[in-house]
Amino acid sequence: MDLETLLSFKWSIMAPEFTILITGVIVSLQDLFYGNKRLSSWLSILGVLLAIAFLSTQYQHESVSILYDTYIFDEVTFFFKIILLTGTLLILLMTSPSWDEETERVRGDFHYLLLAALLGGMIVVSSGDVITLYAGLELLSISSYIMVGIRKYNRNANEGAMKYIITGSLASAVTLFGLSYIYGLTGTTNLFDISREMSAIDTQLEPLAILGFVITFVGLTFKISTVPFHMWTPDVYQGASTPVAAFLSVVSKAAGFILIARMLIIAFTAEPGLEQGTVYEYGVGLIAVLAALTMIVGNTVALRQRNMKRLFAYSSIAHAGYLLIPLAALTSFSLETIWFYLLAYMLMNIGAFAVLHVLIQNHANEDMSIFSGLYHRSPVLTVMMTIFLASLAGIPGTAGFIGKFNIFLGALSADPARYVLAGIMVATTVISYVYYFNILVQMYSRPAEKHANLQVPAITWVTVGFCTLGTVLFGIFPNLPLQFFNW
Amino acid sequence: MISFAWLIPLFPLLSFLVLILSGKKLKTVSGYLASLLTGISFIFTLGVIADLRSVTEYEATWTWLTIGTTDIQAGVWLNPLNGLMLFIVSFVSLLVHIYSLGYMGENDRRATYFAYLGLFTFAMLGLVMSPNLIQFYMFWELVGLGSFLLIGFYLYKESAKRAARKAFIMTRIGDAGLLVGLILIFWQTGSLSFTEIFQAVEQNEFAPGMVTLTAILLFIGAVGKSGQFPLHTWLPDAMEGPTPVSALIHAATMVAAGVYLVAAAYPLFLASEWALMIVAVIGAFTAIFAATIGLVQDDLKRVLAYSTVSQLGYMMLALGAGGYVAGMFHLTTHAFFKALLFLAAGSVILALRKQNIKEIAGEGRHLAITKWGFLAGTLAISGFPLLSGSFSKEAIFAALLEDGQYGLLGVALLTAFLTSVYMFRLYFMVFHGKGADKPPKSVPVSMKIPVIILAALAVISGFFATGFADWLAAEQEYAVLHHSPTWLIFLATLLSLGGIVFAYFIYVRKQMDREEWKTTFSSTYTILYHKYFIDEFYQNTIIYSTRAISYLMYYTERYVVETIAAFAAGMVKEIGKTGSRLQNGRVQTYGTVALLGLAVIVLIFVVRGGYF
Repeated sequence: MDLETLLSFKWSIMAPEFTILITGVIVSLQDLFYGNKRLSSWLSILGVLLAIAFLSTQYQHESVSILYDTYIFDEVTFFFKIILLTGTLLILLMTSPSWDEETERVRGDFHYLLLAALLGGMIVVSSGDVITLYAGLELLSISSYIMVGIRKYNRNANEGAMKYIITGSLASAVTLFGLSYIYGLTGTTNLFDISREMSAIDTQLEPLAILGFVITFVGLTFKISTVPFHMWTPDVYQGASTPVAAFLSVVSKAAGFILIARMLIIAFTAEPGLEQGTVYEYGVGLIAVLAALTMIVGNTVALRQRNMKRLFAYSSIAHAGYLLIPLAALTSFSLETIWFYLLAYMLMNIGAFAVLHVLIQNHANEDMSIFSGLYHRSPVLTVMMTIFLASLAGIPGTAGFIGKFNIFLGALSADPARYVLAGIMVATTVISYVYYFNILVQMYSRPAEKHANLQVPAITWVTVGFCTLGTVLFGIFPNLPLQFFNW
Repeated sequence: MISFAWLIPLFPLLSFLVLILSGKKLKTVSGYLASLLTGISFIFTLGVIADLRSVTEYEATWTWLTIGTTDIQAGVWLNPLNGLMLFIVSFVSLLVHIYSLGYMGENDRRATYFAYLGLFTFAMLGLVMSPNLIQFYMFWELVGLGSFLLIGFYLYKESAKRAARKAFIMTRIGDAGLLVGLILIFWQTGSLSFTEIFQAVEQNEFAPGMVTLTAILLFIGAVGKSGQFPLHTWLPDAMEGPTPVSALIHAATMVAAGVYLVAAAYPLFLASEWALMIVAVIGAFTAIFAATIGLVQDDLKRVLAYSTVSQLGYMMLALGAGGYVAGMFHLTTHAFFKALLFLAAGSVILALRKQNIKEIAGEGRHLAITKWGFLAGTLAISGFPLLSGSFSKEAIFAALLEDGQYGLLGVALLTAFLTSVYMFRLYFMVFHGKGADKPPKSVPVSMKIPVIILAALAVISGFFATGFADWLAAEQEYAVLHHSPTWLIFLATLLSLGGIVFAYFIYVRKQMDREEWKTTFSSTYTILYHKYFIDEFYQNTIIYSTRAISYLMYYTERYVVETIAAFAAGMVKEIGKTGSRLQNGRVQTYGTVALLGLAVIVLIFVVRGGYF
């Protein structure tokens, strides 16, 4: 590649990625030489804001593909990057640096790791090639492993990080193994070429194509924490500090979902496919079964949790199960459904984690009892938490309800319709009322403990307020984001 | 006026927002503010009803949600049926607001109480004006939330918390049915708007069997909300809430929402014989079932609660037998006399500070207005001739006769007899007897006025039956008022009076020892007293089995998987002793599960010959 070709690419389309990269470098240098955590925090927030500003100039930009189709920009990448960037911004705003420093005795700094992980996620979203895709995925994963283990004096954190890295490596190995089948069959790593090759594949090789698809898919379930790669979730969330757990459950998961959706939709649904259908059509039964198992396991095991982080871990497993349904029932609006659900999930889950963070910092305890009597201590925070929980449970009037409603309609209008999945979704949603409801009972009807004053950093209110506003607004006027999506 | 109908629900919403945000400052005036705003809603409602006489139908919508290529609307829909509901809701709500001024008196949290009342009224008004099922569903859930908050208002009472939680979960089971039903309807017709659904029904656009299925699913929602068997158990427990709340929510409005749902979607039900039959049978069974339980309960409010369940069963029965007008008419008269009974009962409870009728033992006789008001309500619900209840019940009997449902007619008549027995048992035990002679605490005026207004309506509203039928018939051709033959009127009157006389001899003249039958028929008494052991049944089956599944999953994850993993764990230990010390052995489990899962998937893949 000579210099001329290199310069001929439309680099400006990567401005958000460059911004995050440069911010990450600056923050790490700052940390090395000055070690001012407050400054790190503000620089990171500024960097993410700048990246959002660059991204927003690309609204309704035409599709671009540079670096020989390894980096693509289209409307899907645009909308999913919004979720990644906004989610990270909200997580950065959720915590006050001085506060964490006192309680956690953290030497290093998690800000540049967070930015690196975000960059990995953004690369995953924009990849048109399996190699860059994998590189982005590993950047995201490795940064996450360190973030989980950053509280090195905390036993849970060490244990969680170790488990995370072992399970993660296993998942990466499985993914790569699956991808190697696909490469072997098609002789290319480019997703669009894979799609073309798959549509003209020899009948005898069909089983291999499906096997490759299945193994890759199972490997990728690690990132979205669904069955069978879900068991790391509770331990890792428990070990990670709350903002990191929020990042794993929202941003990292969103990146995982868009990765799976993109691979499925670009590479495996090409017509005319195999003998009777596409690779996707043969493998879709598997996705449906995994979705069902994930919903059941996540929701029923959550019933037994007292530790709040573990509870939210199982809850996040359950939500991943719901999100698999649009993939098992592909319609013309599956992507839109996934995007809206991830948006709603980002708002309500980060909001809930922010409240959880406040309480954990105040009590140095993660038991459900930290919620007791919250209503008497901070009515406003309680009302906001109620909205998040209602949204997570899918009560009408909240964004979570619209998200579930879209998934449900999609499952029924797909061809063939997925009645069983829709039924399991309704049943498990009803089960989820019980554990979300237990938190409500704690907040409203239990007497408050002696900690009368609740310390809430001003910056946290920004996150909680923004999430509340979004959850309610998108619940009452769901067409606002949906029209935005269909530019 | 009708174009401003959308403002009606907003006044109570405003009341909710103002009071929840600045309730502490406005504590003293909170009740007056809330009553004023509800009053404005009521005046608007009257204006809208005046317009509806000439317009008969009005719809104003805007696009709310676009899914794929489908637009879902939100807005306002008015017709005679929901005009009627608007009237009932805003009127009863206004009276309950006024009554609560006295009842909540100096309660410290009364601003919160009035805020919740506002929220509930808003939701209920929004519900009855919904032009489509999705908006209906959203308000339906909001109504449930309002009810939950109000039942659990006395936070410090463990029983109130439990009751609120139970109501929330039980009705949610019904809601799931409603949700599935509305989504199936959407799938069949591509629309959720009531008018478009009716067109689709007319043009037979549903797949075979789908009409019945969707109608039954909607009815499951109604069963949950309207306390029909088998989802009725939350309603008596909901009596833990403040009494005016019981009058508003658990007598006149929310529980009637289920009946309203069946009425609003009536063309769908009419298209399916089976659905109508199920509605009628469940209604009839609930009516007699709850009436028998009502016979032996000793708590003043619980008797009224079971009576409500039973009367709601009547309404469903009427709708199931094609008695559209009869069902809605009974809903209206019931709203008046049951709200009256609850408000009067609230006065008794407030004045005497007890609600077990055996302890009250006639002490209520000192409360003159309450006593006469309660008597009017009792006579009306018992179907005493020329009072409102007699007209609406006769309409129901006539509809059953017309439809040829002789068995159900028998059940309905028997229930009418039981109704007058248990209601007069209640009346006699509370207001007749030789209880303490001291004059009880007086009842404030604000609590007397609503009782008097409702008593008047309970007495006279029956005479409007014909006008009522004409009003509903303006829009729907199936709105026909059936008239009973003379022998049926005679029989119904006889049963009603017979029940009163029967109760008189047992509870006033003590001709029969009322305790004696408890020993002679001890098993019957036990079954009735324990409400047919329905709660115990749920406790022992559903709750335990859910718990069992959850334990099963938990232990599977913990032990079964771990046992399998033990082997792999041992191997890994041999390979790297250092690394394994760091963990408690479980991370191996995770890996094993993941790889085992993959292996199973691949195995299935191979067994199925290379395809899934």
